[in-house]
Amino acid sequence: MTSDSSTRSPFSEAQTPAVSVNIEGLSKNFGDLVVLRDITLKVESGEIFVLMGPSGSGKSVLLKHIVGLEQPTAGRVLVDNRDATDPATREQVRMALVFQAGALFNSLSVYDNLALYPRENRLASEDGIQEKVMRALQILSLEGKAQKFPSELSGGMKKRVAIARALVMEPQLMMYDEPTSELDPIMSATISEIIATLKDEYHVTTIVVSHDRDLALNIADRVGILMGGKLAAIAPPAELRASTDPRIQDFLNPRIDLKNPRFKHLET
Amino acid sequence: MKQLTNICAGIGSAVLLLGKSIGHAPTLLRQWPRFIEQCYLIGYTTLPIVAILSFFIGSVLALQAGYSMQSFGAKEFIGSLVGLSMARELGPVMVAILVAGRVGSAITAELASMKVYQEIDALETMNIPPSRILVLPRLAAVLVMMPVLTIIGDLVGWLGGAIVSKYTPFIALEPEKYFETLRRFMKFKDVLNGLEKAEVFGFFVVLVCCSIGLETRGGPREIGASVTRAVVVSLILILVLDYFVTKILI
Amino acid sequence: MQNNPQQTARVGLFFLLGVALIWVAFETLSDGKVFKDKGYTIIAGFDNVRELKLGDEVRMAGVKVGSVEETRLTGRRAEAVLRIAPGVIIPNDANATILSAGLLGTNYIGVDLGTPGAPPLLAGAEIKTKITADINTIMAQLGDLGTKLDNALGSIGDAMKGKDGKPGLFQRLDTLLADNGGNITETMKNLKEVSGKLNSGEGTLGKLINDPKLHDELLAAVTDIKSAANNAKGFMTDAQAIVDQVKSGQGTLGTLIYNDEAGQNIKVVTKNLRDISDKLAKGEGTLGKLINDDVLYRDAQGTLKKVDRMVEGLADQGPISAVGVVANSLF
Ligand SMILES: Nc1ncnc2c1ncn2[C@@H]1O[C@H](COP(=O)(O)OP(=O)(O)O)[C@@H](O)[C@H]1O
Ligand SMILES: [Mg+2]
Repeated sequence: MTSDSSTRSPFSEAQTPAVSVNIEGLSKNFGDLVVLRDITLKVESGEIFVLMGPSGSGKSVLLKHIVGLEQPTAGRVLVDNRDATDPATREQVRMALVFQAGALFNSLSVYDNLALYPRENRLASEDGIQEKVMRALQILSLEGKAQKFPSELSGGMKKRVAIARALVMEPQLMMYDEPTSELDPIMSATISEIIATLKDEYHVTTIVVSHDRDLALNIADRVGILMGGKLAAIAPPAELRASTDPRIQDFLNPRIDLKNPRFKHLET
Repeated sequence: MKQLTNICAGIGSAVLLLGKSIGHAPTLLRQWPRFIEQCYLIGYTTLPIVAILSFFIGSVLALQAGYSMQSFGAKEFIGSLVGLSMARELGPVMVAILVAGRVGSAITAELASMKVYQEIDALETMNIPPSRILVLPRLAAVLVMMPVLTIIGDLVGWLGGAIVSKYTPFIALEPEKYFETLRRFMKFKDVLNGLEKAEVFGFFVVLVCCSIGLETRGGPREIGASVTRAVVVSLILILVLDYFVTKILI
Repeated sequence: MQNNPQQTARVGLFFLLGVALIWVAFETLSDGKVFKDKGYTIIAGFDNVRELKLGDEVRMAGVKVGSVEETRLTGRRAEAVLRIAPGVIIPNDANATILSAGLLGTNYIGVDLGTPGAPPLLAGAEIKTKITADINTIMAQLGDLGTKLDNALGSIGDAMKGKDGKPGLFQRLDTLLADNGGNITETMKNLKEVSGKLNSGEGTLGKLINDPKLHDELLAAVTDIKSAANNAKGFMTDAQAIVDQVKSGQGTLGTLIYNDEAGQNIKVVTKNLRDISDKLAKGEGTLGKLINDDVLYRDAQGTLKKVDRMVEGLADQGPISAVGVVANSLF
């Protein structure tokens, strides 16, 4: 019954339909600060969508709207055709967000970090939970770290634990917020491979926020570029590379120009 | 004006948090280990400082009472004075202040850092309400531990008063006499009154500290600001509540 | 997410400690039950336990030996159950009284020492009680005393006047004098001797008469109550009437003075009187001792002082008028 439009659980043969995300005319202000302006975008079920953009352009804020942590100032976000701000949506659609800094629970061991979701939502017996947690750790090659505490882990390991924790939720929609930032190039590549593998094996709809060009151009089905709170472009990687828009070209291939440094004329 | 709206917003979020936590009350039994852990942090680890402070408060009370009462020969009433003031007023207020300083600040710091480092957001995305796993066990634990801390504080304070009364040369009151008058002028109701007060103080201190912690916005710097605010608000709250609760209980 | 067992145990222990301490506070502060399991109880019955409260002290010769555990009404009397500390022995003839102590007006139960050899009171036994000198009770009793004295004096008056046709005291005296004329002179001589002793302050009666302090005290009492002394005027009037009878030669005394035959009879009686007065002078018999002995005087003086003190504090005029009548008719 495997099909490309269904999400497979990493832990069983159960399949659930992959979900799509519809963002319609989304605007967000924090007081006087306008962060997002009228963004309309659809992420298809089962695809990897990579959102790029300079720091502070509002990428994380956009993700928070999708998981319902922020209320739109205008417009709406639909996940599997349900309003993201409705608490019930989170119960019906399993969404996992891998936070930029990992957001691991510092007071809990790696094992307990992963086990918290199924335990608190009473999704399995303690044996079932253990099986799931160990499987997730195994997928990310973290078996030996189960009893470690987050403060004892390196940056790359924290990211992998955060991904494993998301995986335990058997998500239909997986979101990553800058999964490769602060990592060395090899670890960045590893994380990119993980994201692609998870998508390929389980057919999870995936949204990755990143300004890692290698990641975006290698694993993305489509790439969106957010600039100044607006979507500057949405296109598959190949198209994007061929784009003639100077802003996009500059963003994807910034030249380091010591004669005429950019920071001398940055907008304030 | 802005400050007034801030205060109202603070009260509002605390009340909402209280409502949500009470709504999760049926899950408390499932969260037994978390409850025990909070009991340990709020009660057991606070015991030494409560004991030390109560001992000296009782001692100072006895000393002051002995000093001012010796001139009209009423020093055998030191026992009742120390006993009543510890049980009805100083015991509960002092324990509440210690809990605010030691436990409340720690709660705010922990929740604020969880908020700043997005652990709270992570919980929300995992469909686990923070009011359920972070606030409810703490509220339940403080309700159980406040009477225990307060009765220990009361008794240690009485003991401190008795020791000082015996060994201070110008008082030299035998412990038998001290506890005699203490017993004669006190009823269990006085102690109970104090325990009820402590219960109210502890509950609101923890609620306010949780609320301020969860309302933290911004970066690591705001954690410190939240902790300071939580302690100040708790102390004010204790003294304001003290007036009203005393009035109700009298 | 399991707690370590040590933490759980500590919290459990801590909680139990709190419960235990609350229980201790409850036991200690509830109705002074601290002696509940120690010592024994005895029962003290009173007409009225007044301000006695639970937890009030029981003191034996001023030393605390226990506390009041319960007060209750049994039939027509109030009972206090006293919890006595172990090792304290209360003799069964000791008396318990309700006393008040201190500026706070609290009461306590005072138990006296009893007699050394008396067997001890056992648990559950009843201790003897004494009505305390409660000022209200004293006043009421003095009022009663006054009424009784009034009645007694009334009878004396009746006896003197004669009642229901029988001759009164003066009439009898009249007869006596009429029968004994001759020995009167001798008697007078003895009497003079006696009065000499009295005058020089010898013997009880003499001291009574000659001690100015005592006199003043009595006088003060007398002055307070002069109005009441008016009653005595009635006696004087009666006496006057008798004297008139004597003067007019009527009755025994009249006859004694104006009739020779009667004079013979009187001689005999007077001789008897002389014998009596001889004895008096020598200090024989009760009256003689009264005149010749100091001890009785001292007793009397003490009694009078007590009476005086009592009289000073009295608001009720009843007993005073009675005392006044007695004093007036005696002196
Ligand atoms: N809760 C908030 N309150 C106020 N401003 C915020 C809040 N969250 C984000 N912002 C602002 O929105 C802008 C976008 O932030 P963010 O989405 O984190 O950027 P990035 O694209 O680097 O992830 C920033 O200027 C940030 O200061
Ligand atoms: Mg970001």
